[in-house]
Amino acid sequence: MEKIKMKDSRNVLEVENLKLYYKVSAGLVKAVDDVTFFLRKGETLGLVGESGCGKTTTGTALMHMPTPPGYIAGGKIILDGEDIVPLQEKELRKRIRWEKISMVFQGAMNCLTPVYTIGKLMSETLHEHDALKGIPKFSTNPKTSTRKKNASARELMIKYLNYVGLSEDVLRRYPHELSGGMKQRVVIAMALFLEPKVIVCDEPTTALDVVVQAQIINLLKELKEKLDLSFIFITHDLATEAEVSDRIQIMYGGRVMEIGTNQQIYGKQGPMHPYTQRLLQATPRLHEEVEELAFIPGTPPDLLNPPTGCKFHDRCDVCMEKCRTEEPDLIEIEADHYVACWRCRG
Amino acid sequence: MYWKYALKRLLNAVFIYVILIFIFSALFNVQMEQTVYAQIDERIKQETMQLKDMKPDEIREWAIQRKAHYYTVYSLDKPVLERVFIRAGNALIFKYGNSSLIKSSSGSRDVRIIVTETIPRTLLLFMTATILDILLGFWLGIKKAQKPGKALDKTTSVITMVVYGMPSWWLGMLMIMVFSYIFKVFPSGGLTSTPPPPDGSWAFFIDSLYHLILPVITLLVIGFWGRAFLTRNIVLSTLQEDYIMSARARGVPERKVLYGHALRSAAPPIVTMGLLALIVSFSGNILFEGIFSWPGMGNLYWVAVQQNDIPVLMGNLSLTTGLYIAGLAILDLIYGFLDPRIKVGGKA
Amino acid sequence: MKFADMKDSFKEFWAEFSKEKTGVIGLILFALFVFIVVFEPVLLPFEDANDRWRDITYWADNPKSAPPVWTNWFSSKKKATTESYYDYTTAEEDLGGMKVVEYTFDYDYQFDEAPNDIILHMDVTGAPMIVVKVVRPDGEEVEVYYGSFNAGNNTKDFRLSVDNNSRDILYNFAVPFENRESLKDVKAGLIKTTDTLFAKAEEGILRSPVSLKGDYKIVIQSIFMGENDNVESPYLIMPGKVSGVLGTDSSKRDVWTGVLAGVKWALLIGILTAIVSVSVGVVYGVISAYLGGWKDAVMQRVFEIFVSVPLLPVLIVMSAIFEPSIWTMIGMMVLFFWTGSVKTVRSMALQIKEETYIEASKALGASNFRIIFKHMVPLLIPYSFSSMALFIPRAVVYEATISLLGLGDAQIVTWGQILSDALSGGAVMSGLWWWVVPPGLSIAFMGMAFAFIGFSLDKILHPKLRTR
Repeated sequence: MEKIKMKDSRNVLEVENLKLYYKVSAGLVKAVDDVTFFLRKGETLGLVGESGCGKTTTGTALMHMPTPPGYIAGGKIILDGEDIVPLQEKELRKRIRWEKISMVFQGAMNCLTPVYTIGKLMSETLHEHDALKGIPKFSTNPKTSTRKKNASARELMIKYLNYVGLSEDVLRRYPHELSGGMKQRVVIAMALFLEPKVIVCDEPTTALDVVVQAQIINLLKELKEKLDLSFIFITHDLATEAEVSDRIQIMYGGRVMEIGTNQQIYGKQGPMHPYTQRLLQATPRLHEEVEELAFIPGTPPDLLNPPTGCKFHDRCDVCMEKCRTEEPDLIEIEADHYVACWRCRG
Repeated sequence: MYWKYALKRLLNAVFIYVILIFIFSALFNVQMEQTVYAQIDERIKQETMQLKDMKPDEIREWAIQRKAHYYTVYSLDKPVLERVFIRAGNALIFKYGNSSLIKSSSGSRDVRIIVTETIPRTLLLFMTATILDILLGFWLGIKKAQKPGKALDKTTSVITMVVYGMPSWWLGMLMIMVFSYIFKVFPSGGLTSTPPPPDGSWAFFIDSLYHLILPVITLLVIGFWGRAFLTRNIVLSTLQEDYIMSARARGVPERKVLYGHALRSAAPPIVTMGLLALIVSFSGNILFEGIFSWPGMGNLYWVAVQQNDIPVLMGNLSLTTGLYIAGLAILDLIYGFLDPRIKVGGKA
Repeated sequence: MKFADMKDSFKEFWAEFSKEKTGVIGLILFALFVFIVVFEPVLLPFEDANDRWRDITYWADNPKSAPPVWTNWFSSKKKATTESYYDYTTAEEDLGGMKVVEYTFDYDYQFDEAPNDIILHMDVTGAPMIVVKVVRPDGEEVEVYYGSFNAGNNTKDFRLSVDNNSRDILYNFAVPFENRESLKDVKAGLIKTTDTLFAKAEEGILRSPVSLKGDYKIVIQSIFMGENDNVESPYLIMPGKVSGVLGTDSSKRDVWTGVLAGVKWALLIGILTAIVSVSVGVVYGVISAYLGGWKDAVMQRVFEIFVSVPLLPVLIVMSAIFEPSIWTMIGMMVLFFWTGSVKTVRSMALQIKEETYIEASKALGASNFRIIFKHMVPLLIPYSFSSMALFIPRAVVYEATISLLGLGDAQIVTWGQILSDALSGGAVMSGLWWWVVPPGLSIAFMGMAFAFIGFSLDKILHPKLRTR
């Protein structure tokens, strides 16, 4: 299988024109409609947006695990030189998922099978994946005894548990014996230990209380530094996004509206896309006097019958004629800053 | 952790059993005593017949004395509440007295023997049926859960609903009518043919099997759809859980996801439901045994009611209740064992 | 909840429910049952069946253990069906001091097997002479009855059964046609009168009769001599070898009538038991969950005691002690059935209890009663309905079981009663399937209908189990 050359050698992930639709009795729900972006090695790309904008769906699409009746309708997902879209389930399971790209799920509380111990869950995952490059002690050589294999696996598991701040005692426990924060750490450890190129975190802190949230976020930052990981961080919480991400991608109605660096979006200059601007405005600042809470009038678009032209046009206060009929492409306004808006050109 | 739970559960069961025995004893006290009175009168009559050389007055005197004597022996001269307690106490240690009407197959009149010898026969029939029911139902249920909403699932669901209200004993009547009288293929009832083949021999075994077929099939035809339906529902709702998706994402092969993660999580309720069905069938199938003339506990109960044989009735009722409660308790224990959330306890 | 709100949510619910095919079928069946109950007086072939089910005189004119009429479709030899004739021609003749009145019934006989009997009823006053003869298509006349009936000054019903009465007469009629050999094996007192009466006058008339098809006339000749003598309003009933929609049982009762009459009891028992049991169970569960603490624990203990009772044996003993009327039976069933929903309801209620709006209500000062009945219980109504629907078949089967054990209410006609008679009447051994199958099938049908409804309701409540 030939390697596809990445457009930029710094990238670990390139997504081109990705489409993920849901087939329902009423028609097609275009949850992700022609989305293009990339992820560089060692960086965190944040996916932000309202509920239903397509960010979680993009996440599951990257794992090539659309929730039925969803399916990938088109586009490319180039991961480590390989387009994974056309691959069969068997391939995906053996080589791609968890080895090249893993996911920390939303609601990690319920992600651990209650009848298995943490140790069993972790070792099961290890044993299901044969190619573990770069981990010298873990041998897939059938001649190596099971005991040796198990010992190596155990070492690996403990190593990663330690990374996330848990002791090896956890291996003996059942999920219900752990607190929410501990479970989240286990899930993170499991997402990491096969050392995938890309890790997708889907709202990893949403279900946790603020204190634990902070701990987890710090943990993620630490791990990124230490192990040089590349994250895609999905959330609707702008504040968390600001903490964690190097670059931020704002999505709306299944499309990308704006991609910019942390500085570009949150900095003094502020974002360029009207939607992003309104989003930031809607977040109350702690140190400012707020008379009235700003909000964006209207409701998110119906993905079954999406509006023509720019998906945001009916709620945009600077909407032009062109916006109603033609959909703007994502173009680079300045270095590393992409906007999809007619108003923002020239 | 688990031992605490187990102990609590068992004590609970015993407690309930005791209370129920008391309630039964109180309720049926009057009837019980009527039998005892009758038995005493019988005894005295027999005794007087053996007396010789006594004048009628003396005989009468003597009879009254004897009566008083017996009344004391059977505590009939004590106040009602005390009598109830004594009777309940007896019942608790399984001392049920003797029956005046029914004999066990070994010829004994001891109620305890009469009742206990029927237990294995009932067990034979219902355990066989339940085990097959669970196996078949489980297998079908999983098949249905794998392709939900498709043809197999839909048709079997409809069949489940069709037989939902069908009395097992009625189907039994039909089966007997068709297979025993119209087409003389199976025997119409009983555990063995008359005369029965020698006990413990191969022929005896085959003969019993032969007699088991019709009732077991009847029970299966009605029962296993329900089991399949339940299994399917439980498995399906388990498959929707997040941890299943997580397992799939982690690369666990589908077979392992289904049989390992999903089934293992779903096992506690499924197994418990299956065993619950067994326990319930224990007590509820008086009529079924009657139709098939199966000499089990249910049949005995029925005979006792018809003949108004209170001691046997009480004994049977107490034992049935006891087994029922014990069964429910064991069920809880098994469930606790299978579900680590209970077995290991800890933060819920 | 305002009425408008209820109407809306009902419309929503109906939109969902009508998608479930089985649910709709169940509803249709239920409507059918209700229809039967409402129109019972019109539908019952035997109107007084409800009161006179166990009155043998009411059923006297039916054949015994006859299969249903439609079994004729499946055999080449058509058996005579039960018929009644109320039309007749009258001829009067006045002969001075005597008056002769003749009533003639026409019977077109086209069957291969003769009816079981010929039964004539007439209102007789005084003491007239009565002669009954049958005129066969081949011209032969058989005088099946000759005698007088004294009714005194009143008008009494005179019932003549040819089969009971005229064996010797028919024997004598047949002898000239039969051959000597066969005659040796035939006993006069044991012949089947009607088989011979409707048979060809040839050899074999007694041993193996062949039908003589054609037009038969049954003539009642009444001779009045006294002033009071009168015979009027005759009617003819021919109990056939097949009878009715579902045949007859060994007590000559029409099974179809029994089945129809049983519908209302089944519905009554089922619905009443279900509604009361589930209501009690739901309220109990909610209260127990809401009160929490030691009150909850105590309620749970009580609950456990009830649950630990093996239902049927205790029901049986209680039925044996307290005389079973249908109301006591329902009462006893409710006494134990209420436990069925409690566990689920309690866990649901516990979840609701955690909701903040309950806390808020308490903070606002709402009374416990209000919170329980206005906030919590309404949420459980959908579950209650599906629960009730699924309880109904159980109740119906329990009643049938108790009746079959002879402990039911013998005053009313339930399907269980019919089956009980079938069992003791040896229906199973004699293969009288039309007696055994219909009542049981009705129970199964009703069970199926409510299972359809209940499971469809359940599906709507648990969308997780829905499949796309």
